[in-house]
Amino acid sequence: MKNILDRNQNKANEVRNLLALKKVLMVNIISSPGAGKTTLLERTCEELGAKFRIGVIEGDITTDRDAQRLKKYNIPIVVINTEGGCHLDSNSISKVLDSFELDNLDVLFVENVGNLICPSQFDLGEAFKLAVVSTAEGDDKPGKYPMLFREAVAVLLNKIDLIPYTNFNFDSFSSDLKKINSQIPLFEVSCTRGDGLREWYDWISEKINISR
Amino acid sequence: MHESGIAEDLAAIVLETARRVNLSKVTKVNISFGQMIQIVPDIFEFAFRETVRNSIAEDAELDIEIVPVKMKCMNCGSDFQVKENRFACNICRSTDLGIIQGKELFIKSIEGE
Repeated sequence: MKNILDRNQNKANEVRNLLALKKVLMVNIISSPGAGKTTLLERTCEELGAKFRIGVIEGDITTDRDAQRLKKYNIPIVVINTEGGCHLDSNSISKVLDSFELDNLDVLFVENVGNLICPSQFDLGEAFKLAVVSTAEGDDKPGKYPMLFREAVAVLLNKIDLIPYTNFNFDSFSSDLKKINSQIPLFEVSCTRGDGLREWYDWISEKINISR
Repeated sequence: MHESGIAEDLAAIVLETARRVNLSKVTKVNISFGQMIQIVPDIFEFAFRETVRNSIAEDAELDIEIVPVKMKCMNCGSDFQVKENRFACNICRSTDLGIIQGKELFIKSIEGE
């Protein structure tokens, strides 16, 4: 029996070992397009930019628009254009790691290509995966994409300020999520308004501190 | 569409193996995918066909086995199959689980002449 994704797995292990040596926490952020990954990164850079040395890898199909939005924080950003590809793989991460001064980084956020299925299958060598979902997408995401919610170490539910304008049912969302991954931390936030972000900042700060 | 990326890796392994053991034609590839990998067999087959076109594997039959998700309960030790995404022991309800199967992406065998 040979694992078909051996090549990806071997490269991911190399990346993981290198980042452990350099004490850099790599977080693989996975969501649908438009759930708010970039806004979450903007907020996180604003709040934690003075405390930690942050780097970002932007996975984007063809543009560098997300990277442009983060430029104002003066942090190292590298864009990987997948040219149509629906996910990042460990080889593309490994190639761009040379562009960072890893000795001068505490955390490296990888904004994966917006997609709930493919990115969850490819190990990038990250410390953990973070799933971001937004209320406007509906409450059925955990039930429909269980793999991501099993693989992720935390879930961030964004756009809670929009709940009154949608048919999002929080109880149904939360019970589906608990069925799949009962212990997973859930952050209920609005990245545009700022609700609930304090808990996220504290949690991610603790993770970064542990890896330093 | 992770099917295409996985199909490309599969094709590379099949062709390399065939070359190593001097096959002139690959006739069948037997693979198993865990249910959690969420592969759609028809899409996968299509992607694989595109990748092996004009190679010694272009007529190879693909046999895809989908493996259901099975977990072991770390609390009471029982094994169970996950149904309807319910990741909790069906005997003691514990959610402290280890995976037994369901994330496979394996090549079982490659046949050829």
